[in-house]
Amino acid sequence: MSTSDRATTKPRNTTISSASARSKAADTSRRRFLGTGAAVLTTATLGAGGWLGAASRAAAQAAPSAPKARVVVVGGGYGGAIAAKYLKLADPDIRVTLIERSPYYVSCPLSNEVISGERDIDSLTFDYRGLTRRGVAVMQDEIVAVDPEAHYVRGAGGARYNYDKLILAPGVSFDYDPIDGMSEAVAESTIPHAWKAGAQTLLLRRQLQAMPDGGVVAIVAPPNPFRCPPGPYERAAQMALYFKHHKPKAKILILDAKDAFSKQALFQAGWQEHYGDMIEWVPGAAGGIIEAVDPKTRTLTGLVEDFQADVVNLIPHQRAAKLAVDAGLTDAAGWCPVDQQTFASEQAPDIHVIGDAAIAGAMPKSGYAANSQGKVCAAAVAAAINGEPPPAPSYVNTCYSILAHDHGISVAGVYELKDGNIVSVPGAGGLSPVDADARTRAMEVEYAIGWFRNITADMFT
Amino acid sequence: MHALHNRRPGLAARIDPPKPHPPAGVGLLALLALALVLSSPVAGAGDVRSADMLAHTCAGCHGTDGASAGAAMPTIAGMNKSYLLTVLTDYKTGLRQSTIMGRIMRGYTDQEIAAMAGWFAARPWVSTERPVDGQVAHRGEQIHLSRCETCHADGGRGQDATSPRLAGQWAPYIRHVLKACRDTGLRCKTRQGAERVMALDDAEIDALAHYYESQK
Ligand SMILES: Cc1cc2nc3c(=O)[nH]c(=O)nc-3n(C[C@H](O)[C@H](O)[C@H](O)COP(=O)(O)OP(=O)(O)OC[C@H]3O[C@@H](n4cnc5c(N)ncnc54)[C@H](O)[C@@H]3O)c2cc1C
Repeated sequence: MSTSDRATTKPRNTTISSASARSKAADTSRRRFLGTGAAVLTTATLGAGGWLGAASRAAAQAAPSAPKARVVVVGGGYGGAIAAKYLKLADPDIRVTLIERSPYYVSCPLSNEVISGERDIDSLTFDYRGLTRRGVAVMQDEIVAVDPEAHYVRGAGGARYNYDKLILAPGVSFDYDPIDGMSEAVAESTIPHAWKAGAQTLLLRRQLQAMPDGGVVAIVAPPNPFRCPPGPYERAAQMALYFKHHKPKAKILILDAKDAFSKQALFQAGWQEHYGDMIEWVPGAAGGIIEAVDPKTRTLTGLVEDFQADVVNLIPHQRAAKLAVDAGLTDAAGWCPVDQQTFASEQAPDIHVIGDAAIAGAMPKSGYAANSQGKVCAAAVAAAINGEPPPAPSYVNTCYSILAHDHGISVAGVYELKDGNIVSVPGAGGLSPVDADARTRAMEVEYAIGWFRNITADMFT
Repeated sequence: MHALHNRRPGLAARIDPPKPHPPAGVGLLALLALALVLSSPVAGAGDVRSADMLAHTCAGCHGTDGASAGAAMPTIAGMNKSYLLTVLTDYKTGLRQSTIMGRIMRGYTDQEIAAMAGWFAARPWVSTERPVDGQVAHRGEQIHLSRCETCHADGGRGQDATSPRLAGQWAPYIRHVLKACRDTGLRCKTRQGAERVMALDDAEIDALAHYYESQK
C-alpha cells in the first residue's frame, strides 16, 4: 500500500520543532518531603490499608516483634513480586512487606493475545496468596508519598509503613501532553492505549470486534524509551491474526515516532508472510510522528499528513510511575537513575528502584529484565542488611513475540557489570535467525507460552 | 590465567582483588588459589558471580530453583551434574542445536557454566502433577521396557552423565526432544539412543512421553 492510497490523506505543513517544544519537562511537580501529619499508625504490620486475607495477617503477626530489618517493596508486578520473594529466600529473618494497589495483577505479557481473542484475560490474572505463603506480608494499598528522611511511605488512607530499605517497582506512567487531545479520560473511554493490561485491553478488543470489515486500525507507537520495545509490533501481528479470519479487508497502520524498531526485520518478514499488505508501518521520518488526535472523529494529526481510522490505539509517551516522579527519584527525562549493581537510587539513600521505572544500561524495559533486576536488587539489599558487600551481578533478558499460531520470534540478552554499567556480554544474546525453519518458529511459540508460565510461577508461587 | 578464563575478556575484571605477580615457580599454586576463588560459592566474594546469582536468572524460563511450571521447558533441578554441564556446554559451542539456549549460554564462562550445573544438580527434583491417562502410559511403558530401560533405568528415574532423568519430566518437552532427534538427527546424545528413537512413530513418541511424565 503506498502513501497515496491510504484511507485518509491530507498533506500538512507543520514543523518538527513544535512537537518537541510541547513535550513538557518531566520533573516539574516533584514533592520531595512530605509532612507526617497524616500518619495514623506506626508499623508496617499494623498500618494496613487493607489486608489480602487472613493468611497474610498470620504471616505478618508470626514475624518476630524485632525483625532483623524491615524492607518495604512497592509494586507487585514483574519486578516487585520477585524482589519480595527472593529477599525472603535470601534471608527469612528480614521482614518483607509488599504493597500493591490492586488485589490482583494482570500481566501485560500475552495481553496482545487477549486483543486478538486468542486468550482470556483471566489466564493473565494472578493473586498474591503464593507470596503470602512464602512469608511476605502483602498489603493492598496505594502509596501516595515517600519520606526518605524519616524512612517511611504513606498509603492513600494515611497508613504509614516504616522501612529500613525501600524497593520501588511501580512501573511506568503515561505522558499524554505531547499529543494534543489525549488524556487519561480519553484513553479510558475512546482511544485505549492498553499498555497496562486490564480494562483498556478489553475495550480495544471490543472495538476491533465492532469494527466493520475494510476498516482501518491505527496503532500509534511511542518514542524510546518505553515499556516492551517489540510490543506494538507484536500487537499489530495479533490484530492481523484476528482480522485474517474475521475481517480480511481490514488495514493496520502503525504510525511510529521512531525510524527503526525492535526485531524489525523479523517482524516485517513475518507480517508479509502471514498477512501480506495488511500491516503498514509508517516511520517517523515518513510522517509517522503524531501531534494530535480528535477522539470524536478518530482523526490523527501527523507532522506530514493526517490519518483517519476506525479504531485508534495510541500508546502514549512514557516515564517512570507517578510515585517515583513525585518522590524526586527521576532525572530530567523522567526515569530513575540507579547504581547499576544494587539499583540504589542516586537521588535518595536506602531507596532502590527496579523494573521499567529504572534506568538499567543496555537492558530493555521488559518483564524478564524486571525479574532479573529484582533478584540482583534483592541480593544487594540482603547483603547490605547483613553487613556484606553487594554481590557481583548477573542479568538476563528474553522477550518472545507471537506473530501467528506457529510463528514466534525472540530476542535474548545476557548482561554483566562493566565499569559501573550494565552492558551486553559480547558474542551472547541476539535475535532469532531470519532464515529459521518452520520447526524453530513453531517451537518459539511453545517457548513464549512456557516462558509466561514459568516467569509468573516465579513471581506468584 | 589464560587457561582458566576461557576467551571472555570480561572475567579478568571480575577477579578481585588483583593478584600480584607470582614469583617464578609458584605459578601452579597461584592457579590453584585462583581456581578456589572461582569456585567459591560465597555471595559477595569480590567480583566472582556466585552460583546463586547466576542460576537465579534461569528461573524466568525454567521455574524457581529449576522446577519448571511447564510445558515446553524442562525441569532442570536435581539433574545429574555432568549431564547438565555437557548439555549447557554443548549449547554454548553450538554442538547441541537450540532456538535460544545457545544465544544465552555464550554469555557465560566455562567456570560459570560449571557453577550453574552444580547448583541445579543440588536442587530437589520436582515431578509434574498432571493427570495420567493409564492406557497411554501403559503403551509407553511397553516401549520403554523393550527399548529404553537399559540406559534410562528404573522407569526413567535413573540418571547419569549421558542419560537425563525422564520420570516426572514434562511430556511436551520430552516429545519435542524425541521428535527433533528423530526428524533432524539433532539433539540425539548417543548413537544407540538415536537409532532407537529414529524407529519410533508419532503415537509411540506421544505414549513414551506420557509414560515418563506419569512416573514420579
Ligand atoms: C502489550 C505488552 C506486552 C508485553 N510483553 C512482554 C513480554 O512478552 N515479555 C516481557 O518480558 N515483557 C513484556 N512486556 C513488558 C512488561 O509488562 C513490563 O516490562 C513489566 O511489567 C515491568 O515490570 P515492573 O515491575 O517494572 O512494572 P509492573 O509490572 O507494571 O508493576 C508495577 C506494579 O506497581 C503497582 N503500583 C504502581 N504504583 C503504585 C503505588 N503508588 N502504590 C501501590 N502500587 C503501585 C501497579 O499496580 C503494578 O502492579 C509487555 C508489555 C506490554 C504493554
